[in-house]
Amino acid sequence: MEKVNFRTQVLTGHLQNHRHATTTIYPSPCVSYVPPEISEQPFSFDVSSMRKLMDGHNLGDRDWLFNLMVQSKLFNPRLRGGKVFVVPDYNHSMEQQREITMKRIEYLLDHGAFEGWLTGKGPEAEMKKFALLEVIEIFDHSLAIKIGVHFFLWGGAIQFFGTKRHHDKWLRATENYLIKGCFAMTELGHGSNVRGIETTATYEANTGEFVINTPCESAQKYWIGGAANHATHTVVFSQLNVDGNNQGVHAFITQIRDENGNICPNIRIADCGHKIGLNGVDNGRIWFDNVRIPRENLLNSVADVSTDGKYLSAIKDPDQRFAAFLAPLTSGRVTIAVSAVYSAKISLAIAIRYSLTRRAFSITANGPELLLLDYPSHQRRLLPLLAKTYAMSFASNYLKLLYIKRSPQLIKTIHVVSSAFKATLTWHNMRTLQECREACGGQGLKTENRIGQMKGEYDVQSTFEGDNNVLMQQVSKALLAEYVAAKKRNKPFKELGLEHMNRSCPVIPAQLASSTLRSTQFQNDIFCLRERDLLNRFAAEVSQYQAHGESKESAFVVSYQVAEDLGKAFSDRAILQSAIEAENNVKDASLKNILALLRSMYVLVTLEEDAAFLRYGYLSTDNAAAVRKEVAKLCSEIRPQALALVSSFGIPDAFLSPIAFDWVAANSWSTVQN
Amino acid sequence: MASSFGETDQVLVEEKSSTRIFTLNRPKQLNAASFTMVSRLLELFLACEEDPSVKLIILKGKGRAFCAGGDVAAVVRDITQGHWKLGANFFRREFILNYVMATYSKPQVSILNGIVMGGGAGVSIHGRFRVATENSLFAMPETALGLFPDVGASYFLSRLPGFFGEYVGLIGARLDGAEMLACGLATHFVLSEKLSLLEDALCKADSSDPAVISATISEFSLAPSLKEKSACHRLNIINKCFSRRTIEEIILALEREAADKEDEWISSTIQSLKKASPTSLKISLRSIREGRLQGVGKCLVREYRMVCNVMQGETSKDFFEGCRAILVDKDKNPKWEPSKLEQVTEDMVDRYFSKINDKDWEDLNLPRRLNIPPHAIAKL
Repeated sequence: MEKVNFRTQVLTGHLQNHRHATTTIYPSPCVSYVPPEISEQPFSFDVSSMRKLMDGHNLGDRDWLFNLMVQSKLFNPRLRGGKVFVVPDYNHSMEQQREITMKRIEYLLDHGAFEGWLTGKGPEAEMKKFALLEVIEIFDHSLAIKIGVHFFLWGGAIQFFGTKRHHDKWLRATENYLIKGCFAMTELGHGSNVRGIETTATYEANTGEFVINTPCESAQKYWIGGAANHATHTVVFSQLNVDGNNQGVHAFITQIRDENGNICPNIRIADCGHKIGLNGVDNGRIWFDNVRIPRENLLNSVADVSTDGKYLSAIKDPDQRFAAFLAPLTSGRVTIAVSAVYSAKISLAIAIRYSLTRRAFSITANGPELLLLDYPSHQRRLLPLLAKTYAMSFASNYLKLLYIKRSPQLIKTIHVVSSAFKATLTWHNMRTLQECREACGGQGLKTENRIGQMKGEYDVQSTFEGDNNVLMQQVSKALLAEYVAAKKRNKPFKELGLEHMNRSCPVIPAQLASSTLRSTQFQNDIFCLRERDLLNRFAAEVSQYQAHGESKESAFVVSYQVAEDLGKAFSDRAILQSAIEAENNVKDASLKNILALLRSMYVLVTLEEDAAFLRYGYLSTDNAAAVRKEVAKLCSEIRPQALALVSSFGIPDAFLSPIAFDWVAANSWSTVQN
Repeated sequence: MASSFGETDQVLVEEKSSTRIFTLNRPKQLNAASFTMVSRLLELFLACEEDPSVKLIILKGKGRAFCAGGDVAAVVRDITQGHWKLGANFFRREFILNYVMATYSKPQVSILNGIVMGGGAGVSIHGRFRVATENSLFAMPETALGLFPDVGASYFLSRLPGFFGEYVGLIGARLDGAEMLACGLATHFVLSEKLSLLEDALCKADSSDPAVISATISEFSLAPSLKEKSACHRLNIINKCFSRRTIEEIILALEREAADKEDEWISSTIQSLKKASPTSLKISLRSIREGRLQGVGKCLVREYRMVCNVMQGETSKDFFEGCRAILVDKDKNPKWEPSKLEQVTEDMVDRYFSKINDKDWEDLNLPRRLNIPPHAIAKL
């Protein structure tokens, strides 16, 4: 059998090779494909060094996992235009997508891809896990999310909310998929507001058990990834009732299926149905009908219940207890922010490669048609997004490192930065996907070309693990709290990157020359100026509402406009600083030069696009005009480097798409005669 | 047209209608590719590409070998008598020839009727058609020599089914004609007695159309059966073990298999790995893994960096020790340094993939080709 398959595979390879050969040896007399590697200038910097800088860590592990996927039939390899591409078949039904996703997980498991994901210790193990998840995500978002739910949410809950008894029992079993975990937090009636959930867990001292119950329809657990088909266990978030007192939200381990996949008694499960994307993930709904679980199943790192029914916690304040409880969940926001950047990289690599080979209209009589990327308007559409993606790539690396070195002192910073970056980077990704889809014209609509499909696959990122708008409000609130604390105690700012508030207010020159616009000093100044002014305004507005008798909460609600501007200001400034830091750490002059161009583009296009700079007068209208002119100039300077810049993303050809390469051969008649 | 003596002697040239037949002509040295031979082939290939009267190229070897590899002994002699950069000249020319073949606009049919090793694979596998026979013997034996599979092997080995390429490249496994066909290194299998008829038919075909060439060769082809002990029957176990992340893990996986059941094939595979240069194994594995994600051009540029680092000998001198033990003293007992896998650190491996720190040294400068088939291009 093995032998027969082997032979068939080889023979098919030969036949396909020949068919392809016809197309290259006799090029069409009409529009022909010229690889950008031939038509573009040689690279001005070393692409592999840039890749090293961007991917940052575990390059060998990444390449190994790419290899594993490319060499397996499970990853749906397809020969198009003489190259093999691996991309899921999105024409599969929802059920087929779920089954193949599970098979891919089993393949990765068999090849040791998850070794140490929960049993490994230290920063190295964590960075490796991040790197491998990023690679998986480059192949398919569903696959990454299904794995993410099992390891980061279920596994993370055991790790962070549980204690030794839970670790010993579950971590290794989870790593080897002896059990399949899910994470039941969200309910139909409550999503971002976790403290409002309605599921209950009542302790019975006489049996030593908790009774989990879904009291009403709005309390059904909703969107639970893995619940619809595969998960055997879940972490249930419930209101804990001990001795008639509600102690707030706590997490409990509950089995929902037996080892044969049958749903356990007193559990009801239904499907969430077909979605706009992520159909490889089996999202389900769960109802608990007085399900009894042993006392030991309470994940008790923050609080416990004694056998005789006493509630015990070292943290007395329920607000603090809840914050301490949820703090470890930040890893989800970290991985989402990082993966949003990789998604943007995939779409830009495809759209820019296509724009370097596809022509449209000639602007001289009988002249050749122009390459799409030689139109300044096309450059303006794609190159600023490319520059932002570079800046955000550095920002996401910074966020990963911040998370890795987490400590009680850093909890607040990690919470704020991860909230801001998760929202900003996922919004950036969705915008980039839409622009790239349009930039590829009709070809962008084909799912084999990835970009259009990815819009559906990645849209969820602005909602899960915290709605983007809610997260950004939390950023502004945290900044205000910092502000109030500093003013009250008359102490300098020393957290959240607000140290610049201690210095005198930066002054923006009346006339902005090109050299000023491109200087780090100016760029830093104007981002800090915006953040500083908006924070002052936000504080003033909230206190004004409070002076008129409004509560703090309702003052926040009505001050949403400044809050939104402030959240953006914080995020942009933090991104810029991580980009500057990355640039400063580079020694090679050719890399430094291109990074400086990209940084200037990132800042200037932000100045151009965010109305706040004109609204609050940080830029005069004359200066805004100068910025606009400079953006166009930067476009033409980055244009010759576009191919090298997308080649540095470290995404193997097989994970891009046919239009990124010989799209004429990929669509030739000979490929139809199969 | 070939003169009867002098340099061009190393490659015999025949013109038959629109076909050019090039015969590697150093039978006593098993047609080992010398600097002269490689230079002559490059010249011939470039000239034929320009010449509209040429439609097809046939490449074969005189005597019992197609080509037993690059003339490594000569390279080592040059290096020890002069400077490692003399060796770099050879590899540069050889790799450019490999690149020209991989991106060639006319079909090349290589007749692999005998030994095909190392550099011999480099001048054939990149071409469109590779005809194996019952006399074919293929191997990439570089890890036993303190080198690594070069000549674009990180490109073609990595494209074999599953992780068979890692197996072939790390072990230096010997494959016969049937196995070459089964794994895709050969495109056809023809009995040696039919070769002269095949040659005539190809000349008569008078075509550059790969479909016509393929059909012509197929008329003489047959489907050989794999020998019972062939590694091609072991693809499951090869995939399971050779897909592991590191050499150490590969050996561990093989040893686990061996513990399950007594198996001669597994123990000899483990033996080959333990005998090879630890440094060679590590850089070879990484080269194949990177190669799988790159186009042939990138592969050759990387391999050129690697081979220059090998010849410079700053991290390890295993190449010289391997040549001494296998080619010169023939004691077959090389003393590798570092001698153990765990002594070859990630940093040391990294060095082989970096540019040479020498202001006169340059990366391999590939000629700009008019026609690069898309499968030959990757951007990483």
